Amino acid sequence: MKSPSGASEKAGGRKKAAGKKAETEVSMEVWRLQEENAGFARYIREKTNQLLQVMGTEPLRPEEFEDRELLNLDPIGIIAGSLEQVFEYLNETITKLSEARDEMQAIFDATGVGISIIDQDFSIVKYNEKQRELLVDKQLDNVCGRYCYEVYCLKNGPGLDCPAVDTFATGRPVVVNEVRKKDKYFQLVTTPFSRNTNGEVTRVIEVALDITARKKAEEEEQRQRGYYLAEKSKLASVLQSLSEGLLVTDSRNRIISANGAALQILDLSQQQVLELKIDELFADCPAGARTIFDVGTPHACQNVEIRFRSATRELLLSVNSVPLVDPDGNPIGRVFTFRDITEEKHRQEVFHRTEKLAAVGQLSAGIAHELNTPLGSILGYARLLLKGSNLQPDQRERLGIIAEQAKKSGAIIRELLDFSRLSTPLPNQAMRCDLNKVVAEAIRVLQTELDKRFINVKLELSKIPEVEADPKRLEQVFVNMLLNSAQAIGSNGEISISSHCSGHEVRVSVSDSGPGISPENLSRIFDPFFTTKPVGTGTGLGLSICAGIIKDYGGAIDVRSTPEEGTSFTIILPLPGKAHGQ
Amino acid sequence: MTDKKKIELDILGQVCPACLLVVLREMNTHRLRLKNGEAQLVIKTDHRDTTRTIPESARKMGYDVEVRSLETCYEITIGSK
Repeated sequence: MKSPSGASEKAGGRKKAAGKKAETEVSMEVWRLQEENAGFARYIREKTNQLLQVMGTEPLRPEEFEDRELLNLDPIGIIAGSLEQVFEYLNETITKLSEARDEMQAIFDATGVGISIIDQDFSIVKYNEKQRELLVDKQLDNVCGRYCYEVYCLKNGPGLDCPAVDTFATGRPVVVNEVRKKDKYFQLVTTPFSRNTNGEVTRVIEVALDITARKKAEEEEQRQRGYYLAEKSKLASVLQSLSEGLLVTDSRNRIISANGAALQILDLSQQQVLELKIDELFADCPAGARTIFDVGTPHACQNVEIRFRSATRELLLSVNSVPLVDPDGNPIGRVFTFRDITEEKHRQEVFHRTEKLAAVGQLSAGIAHELNTPLGSILGYARLLLKGSNLQPDQRERLGIIAEQAKKSGAIIRELLDFSRLSTPLPNQAMRCDLNKVVAEAIRVLQTELDKRFINVKLELSKIPEVEADPKRLEQVFVNMLLNSAQAIGSNGEISISSHCSGHEVRVSVSDSGPGISPENLSRIFDPFFTTKPVGTGTGLGLSICAGIIKDYGGAIDVRSTPEEGTSFTIILPLPGKAHGQ
Repeated sequence: MTDKKKIELDILGQVCPACLLVVLREMNTHRLRLKNGEAQLVIKTDHRDTTRTIPESARKMGYDVEVRSLETCYEITIGSK
């Protein structure tokens, strides 16, 4: 029999062995688990390093973080969270880029200019609808991938004038201001669109701006400008060729333009006239007519007579004015036209005077004729009675007065008949007459009278053609003129007589150094019976008769007088065959 | 960035990539506040590489980053505009 202790020892030994085995197994399991954990840790470290590289940094160094520390940090979770943010940001960016691309496409398509992108082979990469409309043949569908020179320029290769060639070569934008294609005008701009790593341009963007409307507007403007310049030139020529003076004023009444006739009539230079105020130029305008200058006067003013004193003479001008308005109808100035009516007015006065003379002459002739017969009877019977021997002295004296007064009345009637030229009808004789000789004869007739008055006669007679007139009648005219001058001077003075030929006329002037004739009398001196001489010393018919004689020969008498300086009569007679109406 | 709440992170003495992980963890933690502009993360570091790696990562996540060189360290500020 085995002792219990032996069995117990044996059992204890077996138990111990089993315990060791179990311990070993546990150790083995722990070791296995540790190895497995280390493998997981290495895996996590490797993946962490991989993710760190993705994040752009270096891997963890072995000494960095114990495995446990690393696991506690949760690097993969951290990086996953960060990548989530990166993706979120990427998605946002992609959305924005997509929106931006859509916007760009919309702009690309909707823009008013044609745009195409061309690569280095001159292939069209992209183009917008406007470019298709402007430069692509309607029959072509999609032209992407086709050569731009074929599609746009209808050529077999890029031309020397192609701006894309320049941009590819130089890398700089090129502008071609005017290209004509498909009956339209374009402005082309090419700019670099993308470059390779060497900086070479790989694509250009070409922008085509349709400038046809602008070009046509420019051409139209050019045409209109040419038209306006031609019209302006034409108008300037017309204005310069006008015989009437023309002045244009601005809104401030200042003269801004004057034609040649205006300067000639006014005897002023362009510099003297420009910027002068019109109302200052025509300062002698009658007060009642000064609205002619007012820029606000809406209507035209016509035939306003204004006296103008030029450097050499005094003129009478007939002035018209019309308002000058802008396209909206606002007044911006006035246009004045005028002509010199000095001579015309003078001739009118002479004509009216002559007409008046003719009327008075007819009346005078009738009266004279009717009075001549009874007056002849009065004178005849008075003289018959005076022959009687039984007359008392006082009766004889009274009869003598009757005869004398009847005789004087007869003389007046003869003058009246002379005036009316009924008593001595004008002999229609075509006599040639040298006016210089007539003047000399008239002076000779009056020499005694002139000497008595100490009046010197100064002659400035030119060689003049003969006129067609009766020398005796003309002598009567010059005697009358000289006598008038002598009577005006009184004593101690000078009479100048000059003659010259002017155009178709001969002019002889008789000027005296007398006191002159007042303006109010000047217009009446040719009126019959008008005299300034004392009563009984003049009939007032002398100058009327002279005017009548000169008129008979188709001439006229001009008179100009300045008070205190003297008077000048000019007898104007036409050359043979040149009388008025002939 | 001046009137926002500042979340300060001192990683002086730490080097990459450990400090990048720390900063990324903070950015994940405060993600909403940083994104909507309520707060900004102000990091103090003396490791030069960090001034490159942190801004690069932060910008990839859509943040604005400002790096300033102070006397003894760098200050990186991360936030939204």
